[in-house]
Amino acid sequence: MDCIKKKVNEEIAAGWKGSDLSCEYHPCHFKGQDCTFCYCPFYPCEDEDLGSFIVGRRGEKIWSCTECLLIHRTEACRFLMSEVKRLGIENAEDSRLRGLFPEFKRRFFKIGRATMVVGATSDAGKSVTVAAICRILMRRGVLCSPFKSQNMSLNSKVTRNGSEIAMIQTLQAQAAGLTAPDHHMNPILLKPKADTTSQVIVCGKPFADYDVEHYYGEFVPGPGREIVKEHVDFLKRHYDMVIMEGAGSPAEINIYDKDIANMRAAEIADANVILVVNVEWGGSFAYAVGTVELIPEEDRRRIKGIILNNVRGDPERMRSGADRLEEVLGIPVIGIIPHADVVLPSEDSEALRGKTGSGEGNAVIGVVRFPRIANFTDLDPLALEDVRIRYVESPADLEGVDAVILPGTKNTVRDYLWMVERGIRDKVVSLKGKVPILGICGGYQMMGTVLDDSKAFEGGTSQVLDGLGFFDMDTVFGEYSKKISNDTGRLLAGDGGTVTGYELHMGMSESREKPLFELDRMFAKVLPTDGSYREEDMTFGTYLHGCLDTPAFRKYFLSFIKGIKTESGSEVADYTSVLEENLDKLADVFEANMDIDRLMAILEGRA
Amino acid sequence: MRSVLVLGTSSGAGKTTLCAVLCRALARKGMSVAPFKASNLSLNSYACQDGGEIGMGQAFQAWACGMEPESDMNPVLLKPAGNGVIQLVRGGRPYRDISRDSPMTKEETVPTVRECFGRLSASHDIVVCEGSGSPVELNLMDRDIANVGLMRELGIPAILVGDIERGGVFAAIYGTWRLIPEDLRPQLKGFIINRFRGDGSILKEGIDRIEELTGMKCLGVMPYRFLRLPEEDSMSSSEGKLEGSDVRSAFMFNLDEMTDAFLESGLDIEEVVRISESSA
Repeated sequence: MDCIKKKVNEEIAAGWKGSDLSCEYHPCHFKGQDCTFCYCPFYPCEDEDLGSFIVGRRGEKIWSCTECLLIHRTEACRFLMSEVKRLGIENAEDSRLRGLFPEFKRRFFKIGRATMVVGATSDAGKSVTVAAICRILMRRGVLCSPFKSQNMSLNSKVTRNGSEIAMIQTLQAQAAGLTAPDHHMNPILLKPKADTTSQVIVCGKPFADYDVEHYYGEFVPGPGREIVKEHVDFLKRHYDMVIMEGAGSPAEINIYDKDIANMRAAEIADANVILVVNVEWGGSFAYAVGTVELIPEEDRRRIKGIILNNVRGDPERMRSGADRLEEVLGIPVIGIIPHADVVLPSEDSEALRGKTGSGEGNAVIGVVRFPRIANFTDLDPLALEDVRIRYVESPADLEGVDAVILPGTKNTVRDYLWMVERGIRDKVVSLKGKVPILGICGGYQMMGTVLDDSKAFEGGTSQVLDGLGFFDMDTVFGEYSKKISNDTGRLLAGDGGTVTGYELHMGMSESREKPLFELDRMFAKVLPTDGSYREEDMTFGTYLHGCLDTPAFRKYFLSFIKGIKTESGSEVADYTSVLEENLDKLADVFEANMDIDRLMAILEGRA
Repeated sequence: MRSVLVLGTSSGAGKTTLCAVLCRALARKGMSVAPFKASNLSLNSYACQDGGEIGMGQAFQAWACGMEPESDMNPVLLKPAGNGVIQLVRGGRPYRDISRDSPMTKEETVPTVRECFGRLSASHDIVVCEGSGSPVELNLMDRDIANVGLMRELGIPAILVGDIERGGVFAAIYGTWRLIPEDLRPQLKGFIINRFRGDGSILKEGIDRIEELTGMKCLGVMPYRFLRLPEEDSMSSSEGKLEGSDVRSAFMFNLDEMTDAFLESGLDIEEVVRISESSA
């Protein structure tokens, strides 16, 4: 406490300073944050709207307000500092400082407004619409947060405090200018495991496995609704606006009452709703009318605008239809958005359906398309390089490849057996030493000598399998637990360099190979390592998702491909900044093709 | 005269496949069946023995019927030629180039469509017609000849097929019915849910509601399967696997398996026949 008081004294003495761009942690909360009070002068305010008590390591009660952003808003800082100066307060112990809190809260604490974006189908463009709206709001100085109550996806990321949430919400948070996305933004994550069961992640931690029937029969009517309410309310207290994303179609009338991802969530958050329809497949007017009219009247009135998304060719050709649609439904079409040519990660593996590859570069990278492929956004940074991705579903698909990647999977054992059955395993083995082979997470586990699932956590039956045998490494699926961590570290091979990423896996590996990365750990005497590699075999493996995002490892791995040019792309391209540019580009496309006044009216609850 | 028109709620909903399955199933019952698609936008065409050019989908469906493809099965074929120019093939023969400045008119196509359909229906027990895209593109509907145009001109009864895989299938089916001009709605007799995975009983509540709202009857929930087709248009992706050396018999073998699977899943072929009898 004394340490905090001392810091506050220094802050008061320094006066108002706005954003501190010289700070190495800037922005630690959000773009444009005010850093005048790095330490809150009201700590501990013990105001339940702004924080809560948590239990410390020794069982003591600690006031926690790490997610409160009030003291980092410029207008709030200006007000507080001018009051401090006016009253001549010089010391954090001065009781008049605490006395400013009620007025401070009255002026600056507000419950934000929520708006929900639903889609007529999966892949309608909900998530990019949310990202675009978040970026449009950020540019207008509105502090907003994304939210998706329930996300089914195998692409997840680890937050600053070690929670697992869907990747797409972290991207939307980036669009909103937020530095540290957290589990409130996606409190329920469903990760499909076998054909009908999913691992359910609640508040960033594994909760239980459910099949469809029990998920809707027990989880949803039980804890589900409360979870949605708790977290969307939390976000509304801390942000001016919450931009919610629905899931699938909101008009699945066979499960309407059990769906907590769409109109129920909108009701809980008292949100206006915007409907997005993908025009690309045709039938968009039917989808729009059907969706709106199948939703019961009391929920339908929340729908305030329609966006026709992903129009190829001239958007104006949709105009006469849009006018007719407005007449039929009495809801304005607020945007006709052309297909936006942006590089952003795709949300779920449905987006890969029917795709045989991506990219237009020269080197062909064969990516084994596991049935339960997970975190395949790991591969997105390859779009910056002179490579082309070919999805591999049969041994023939591996003919003539220049490199192989075994990506992550939600179920290592089942997908390994799939690879064996299809003859892909033997083909991959025959490529060892001929082309570089990289395994990430589940793909890395497969590269070892032993996959020990004797407790039947992965495959459903007790079995111990021989892996690909590229590394002297055993992986044991020993208990229902999961390693989750967010890492930075260094490449130990080649020229070295920084790497960032995150680990998310069931099963633990013991490798007796040279490690690939060294990881930073606060307070650790010996830094942990990750991964394995053998340069002579050109085999590389790591648990680190996102290892290709920064150039160091990407460039190193690609350097094993004969004749590839890696200079151009790798030198410049840090994937995060590429995403940043593309988020701006996306927001530009939406701004140019949307009725922004109408959009703002909906977001502000005036529509 | 018996005929039925299969309309899709979107591109790639499974019209071409369903028509092929219907052709196959009806032919197996000993009926003389012919396929028909008034207007087709495709670069994949087939040269018929009569010297005419038609869309590949109809050639395939002709084989499914156990007959050779004929020009009458696809009276209007539109072949994109680049730069916004499209070649109009009418009655199997190249007719003229169309473009934004010189669009296709109903006057130059409808008579051909009528003649071709007339000949087919006169010489077969039943004609299985395939629609094009979605029938309710509000910006294009007044120019349509393959969907509502055909319903109006020839009084053909129709069934809708919706793809459940993307979600929103109830909205798609209901919304399509809702946007069909009111006087034509009575011609919409049934709907089919395509590409379903899992236990169909979960859909019951939704199906009942759609039947109640629209008066259309559900004619089946079809399993998630892809038929290996000669590529129909740029939007679809055929993922089925082909086996065998003679391509055509391999296609038919694959189609037979699919037809069996659809019939086992409860495709109500008797009802399709009854519906076809309500043709004008």
